[in-house]
Amino acid sequence: MITWFKLATRNLFRNGRRSLFTVMAIGLGFAAVNALGGFTAYIFTSLEDSYIHIQGNGHMSIFKKGFLEEGKLDPTRYLLNEEDVRVIDEVLQAHPEIRISTPELNISGLVSNGEVSTIFLASGRVASKVDVIRSHSRTKVGNMRLFDGDPMTDDKPNGLGMSQGLADQLRFKQGDTVVVMAPTVSGQINALDGQMLQTFSSPVEALEDKLMLVSLEFAQNLYDTTSVDRINVLLNDGLLTQPMRATLQSELAAHGLDVEIKTWNELSTFYTKVKNMFDVIFLFAFLIVFTIVVMSVVNTVGMAIMERTREIGTLRALGVKRRGIVGLFALESMLLGLIGSLVGVLLTLAVWSSIATFEPTWIPPQITRRIPLEVYLVPKEMLWSLLALMVLSLLAASLPARKAARMEIVGALGHV
Amino acid sequence: MNTITSIGTAPLIELRRATKHYQIGENPVIALKGIDLIIQTREFVAIWGPSGSGKSTLCNLIGMLDSPTTGSVLIDGQEVNDLSDNARSELRNRMIGFVFQNFNLVPVLSALENVMLPLQIAGASSSVARQRALERLAEVGLEKHVAHRPAKLSGGQQQRVAIARALVTDPALVIADEPTANLDSGNARRIIELMLNINASHGTAFVFSTHDQRLLESVKRRVLMQDGEIGSDSQPERPAAQTRIAGSRP
Repeated sequence: MITWFKLATRNLFRNGRRSLFTVMAIGLGFAAVNALGGFTAYIFTSLEDSYIHIQGNGHMSIFKKGFLEEGKLDPTRYLLNEEDVRVIDEVLQAHPEIRISTPELNISGLVSNGEVSTIFLASGRVASKVDVIRSHSRTKVGNMRLFDGDPMTDDKPNGLGMSQGLADQLRFKQGDTVVVMAPTVSGQINALDGQMLQTFSSPVEALEDKLMLVSLEFAQNLYDTTSVDRINVLLNDGLLTQPMRATLQSELAAHGLDVEIKTWNELSTFYTKVKNMFDVIFLFAFLIVFTIVVMSVVNTVGMAIMERTREIGTLRALGVKRRGIVGLFALESMLLGLIGSLVGVLLTLAVWSSIATFEPTWIPPQITRRIPLEVYLVPKEMLWSLLALMVLSLLAASLPARKAARMEIVGALGHV
Repeated sequence: MNTITSIGTAPLIELRRATKHYQIGENPVIALKGIDLIIQTREFVAIWGPSGSGKSTLCNLIGMLDSPTTGSVLIDGQEVNDLSDNARSELRNRMIGFVFQNFNLVPVLSALENVMLPLQIAGASSSVARQRALERLAEVGLEKHVAHRPAKLSGGQQQRVAIARALVTDPALVIADEPTANLDSGNARRIIELMLNINASHGTAFVFSTHDQRLLESVKRRVLMQDGEIGSDSQPERPAAQTRIAGSRP
């Protein structure tokens, strides 16, 4: 085995330039796939973290069954009342896997500056609990201040935040009094004064002139209710999302609650769409790399076989079996795949360290602030790429190698 | 039809009515026309004749590098035509050594590694293969060149490495295709003498195709090929092992 390994290794250096080009093609392909994979992992992680932590939604949300389908039309029927919330809290507190849970009431209505009114959509939340959720963000963006003005706090129940577009439209600035109107759950019009604390960027561009943040107390007062529309739950470990959903679902049902639990990725349609898009991009990139690697290896092995036809005949004359010839070229191409992949690992590390050193920033879609651009190192993906490229190299070489092994010995020996 | 039987007991090689037909383009070529030939162990046989007479084809059949179109080839009494490719490869590795006109050494391996190769193909351990290869290289006078790659060796030295490689598995037969064709007269003489000495000392049978008159003069048995048939089989008066080559050392 050592002899064949030695022979295969030395054969790679017989035409060094050709082998170098093949190794570089594999290495660049590896780096391209893994840099894209690292960027994709950054995007996925950022989107996940943004929804779960930065926006304070947690890993899952508990709704009264039917709220997501019918709740907009008949909100009172699908809200969780105080008793529901109490039972849910009781069930949740029995699970140490749950880090924190927080109620939320989403409202809509009109917001006015005294001269002009426009519609708004607002989340009513408990600021201190949302801060706890945000504090567990794993991304650099999570540590950034994503609003201008003062933070929302529990001691300012009338404080509110507004998307920059909405504030600009109504010419609100920090400290201004804002009149908010909405129908109560019983259908009467209610109006409350709020104090403008902050402006922020909407995560969805279409809502840039509509979004507001209010305290849960403010939202409940405006709707004249003590109910909420959901309970958001943050887990200690995101991997527990699915099993915890099943556990909670059965326990809450056992308590007589007709609720449904949706996980973060079911609720974040944007995440799912972006993920699907990047999966397609990644597939295209991999197919391009696949083609380049296969063509390079087939060309290299094909040329090597042509140049070494007489040597193949000699080895066969000396007693090497057909599978030995296939094995020799397979070993050579696997070595090409391995060396190319190792070069690819170095190139990927170079890309990663450059980005980590220079810390470039960018403005991704649907965010108006510059945020750090990152490419994650994903060792598992790199290992899979290495194995995939080695197998790919092996398969690419197998056809010409089998052809070489089936050559007539006499013909091969007489090859010029 | 020629039937030539050597003096001896068990035939090492036996060809029975062996023919070989090729197709070159649309033209059929009959390279061998029903050859019957027996070669005994320890023989030193030259196959000679004009170009295209079938010398190389005959060597290829004897060495199991090719199969006859009709007829059969027996090695050590075993019919080889029906053997699988793997079995033929194993038999070739175990029983037959090859020396080629162009030496056919593996350029990326040293002289030692080239000689080790047949043993390692047979599955011998590196240490055993190394020891036996060193002995063979010493036998052909190349003990100081074991680490040299073929490109660093002269033609004569390369052919001696090839002979060491052919002998390293202690084969019963060495087939040499024009072994002196690419050598100057001095090297050719040394190679002929080396093969004769090995034949005499180890009892390894040699079958080789040649045009080299010096080589023909030194062999015990000469098989003349003409138009795909054996034209004649002659044996010089002196036995091969006692033959002195003009200009060679006593």
